[in-house]
Amino acid sequence: MSIEIRHIGKRFGDYVALENIDLHIPTGELVALLGPSGCGKTTLLRIIAGMESADCGQVLFAGEEATHLPARERNVGFVFQHYALFRHMTVFENVAFGLRVKPRKMRPAEHEIRRRVDDLLKLVQLDWLADRYPSQLSGGQRQRIALARALAVEPRVLLLDEPFGALDTKVRKELRRWLRRLHDEMHISSVFVTHDQEEALEVADRVVVMNQGKIEQIGSPDEVYSNPASPFVYRFLGNVNVFHSRLHGAWAEVDRDSPSVDAGEAIAFVRPHDIDIERRAVAGGLEAIIQEVQVIGPRVRVELSHDAELIEVELSRERANILSLAKGQQVWIKTRKLHVFSSPLVAMEEEGSGI
Amino acid sequence: MSARATRRATGEPLWLRALLMVIGLGFLLLFLGVPLLAVFVEAFAAGWPAYRDALSDGETRSAIALTVLIALVVLPFNVVFGVAAAWAIAKFDFRGKSLLITLIDLPFAVSPVVVGLVFLLLFGAQGLFGPWLAAHEIKVVFALPAMILVTLFITCPFIARELIPLMQVQGKDEEEAALSLGAGAWQMFFRVTLPNIKWGLLYGVILANARAMGEFGAVSVVSGHIRGETNTLPLHVEILYNEYNAVGAFAAASVLALLALVTLAAKTIVEWRMRHETQRLTASDLPPEKG
Repeated sequence: MSIEIRHIGKRFGDYVALENIDLHIPTGELVALLGPSGCGKTTLLRIIAGMESADCGQVLFAGEEATHLPARERNVGFVFQHYALFRHMTVFENVAFGLRVKPRKMRPAEHEIRRRVDDLLKLVQLDWLADRYPSQLSGGQRQRIALARALAVEPRVLLLDEPFGALDTKVRKELRRWLRRLHDEMHISSVFVTHDQEEALEVADRVVVMNQGKIEQIGSPDEVYSNPASPFVYRFLGNVNVFHSRLHGAWAEVDRDSPSVDAGEAIAFVRPHDIDIERRAVAGGLEAIIQEVQVIGPRVRVELSHDAELIEVELSRERANILSLAKGQQVWIKTRKLHVFSSPLVAMEEEGSGI
Repeated sequence: MSARATRRATGEPLWLRALLMVIGLGFLLLFLGVPLLAVFVEAFAAGWPAYRDALSDGETRSAIALTVLIALVVLPFNVVFGVAAAWAIAKFDFRGKSLLITLIDLPFAVSPVVVGLVFLLLFGAQGLFGPWLAAHEIKVVFALPAMILVTLFITCPFIARELIPLMQVQGKDEEEAALSLGAGAWQMFFRVTLPNIKWGLLYGVILANARAMGEFGAVSVVSGHIRGETNTLPLHVEILYNEYNAVGAFAAASVLALLALVTLAAKTIVEWRMRHETQRLTASDLPPEKG
């Protein structure tokens, strides 16, 4: 089922949580709401679920008005960051809850409930835990039960609020992939909230980057990463080097294809892995001194200084070995790819940015 | 080396620990144990038949019945008010929330005698509603209604105070989950909220009950001490004692003391259950992560 958000706004007292949000989520898509804490992503999710009411604007489900529909009538599955399993019920009863509270006429028979719960527990591969209580499960297991519980009522939309936020890295990665598979099997629309850019880029079909109650960019994971629409998106999706305009001149060679920006007002954003290091002077290269070389797993992080500016570069291990870099060396750096924003835009953001 | 460190960590020397224990236990024995024992000794001073006669006395029986009646009327109101107030405070944000929390504690802060007087001033013959009540021939003061009202006032914080912290800790995630799964408001309350707070609620009920049955000051002011009619057990004890009927007074008091002991036992059991439950909630025997 498609979800349509129109001009949604929400305030908490003087605090603007959401401002004029427009978003269309087509059927079958897995969408990530990505942003720093306090950007309004969870509020937006709760408004879609009907747990929070918007001050203005509309929510439409499959083209039908749903703005004032109570949560229980929306037929959405909601998964909480801290699972929110019913602590006094067994795993089985947790999953069966949505079926048991249906009005008598629509309630399935007991054997039908049993069959469906068993099926769901098999789907999340935890049928062997049916008689346990939530407190006896690990975090990853709890979250899978929470998912099974949400799916029991055959929701038209699945909403997940930082579903893996409370889990450790390994379990998190596993569950991500599992969620992706599950979503593809269920043919429903899913929206999940996260502040973890890696998670959003890995799992989602589309990423909605939010900041300070507004949408900064909507696009495929590749789009938002490769073509960030704003300095904020650039910064939020990974590390970045920021070069001010006086360096810009030295890189004329590299940046010849963005003539729209006046050199005086431009600020260039370059990702650490889009910079290469050469031991010899190269055309359009920038002179720099190595300050620090750090090996982090498969990557090597090099910190260089150019005048007063610090530049971070990320190389593969092989490349670093070939170069055999050492502290204090003079090298030349060259960008493979950079992005230029006008400096007023950047200055505006730096004033009130959440990061 | 390490043994010495351990001894250091436990701190105080033996004699000091012994002294503290003697002071603590001695105090308990002197001020709680001895009086409690005295109640039963005095009650049985003239033997079992005298004790039985004292309790089967008509006025004592009606005092017991009245005490039970007041508790039975007051407790359901307390449960409703306590759950509603705790719910409002723990799960909603609204203006005047801190005022409500302060007001809930008011009955603890006000002397029971003052509470009694306030109700006299409101419902007494010269009181605010006095003339109107008299005109409609409704008797409040020196009758059961006023006794129920003051007992309600005195006991209303117990359940709410017990539930507020409990519900605040539990948050509203589970309730929201229930709603998103299609549960109605009542289904949510009876299937999710109530099971989560049941032990806290029971604990509050036990405390409120003990206070309702034991209340003296406020009830004394509004009861009028009409024997066989508006005498509760605590009031009856005083009357009997003032008439130098020691066996009667202590026999009646022993019923109250017995009630206190039952309350204590019930409280201990509920506390144990609550702890047991929270332990189960944080159990560490996690099954392995699989699949």
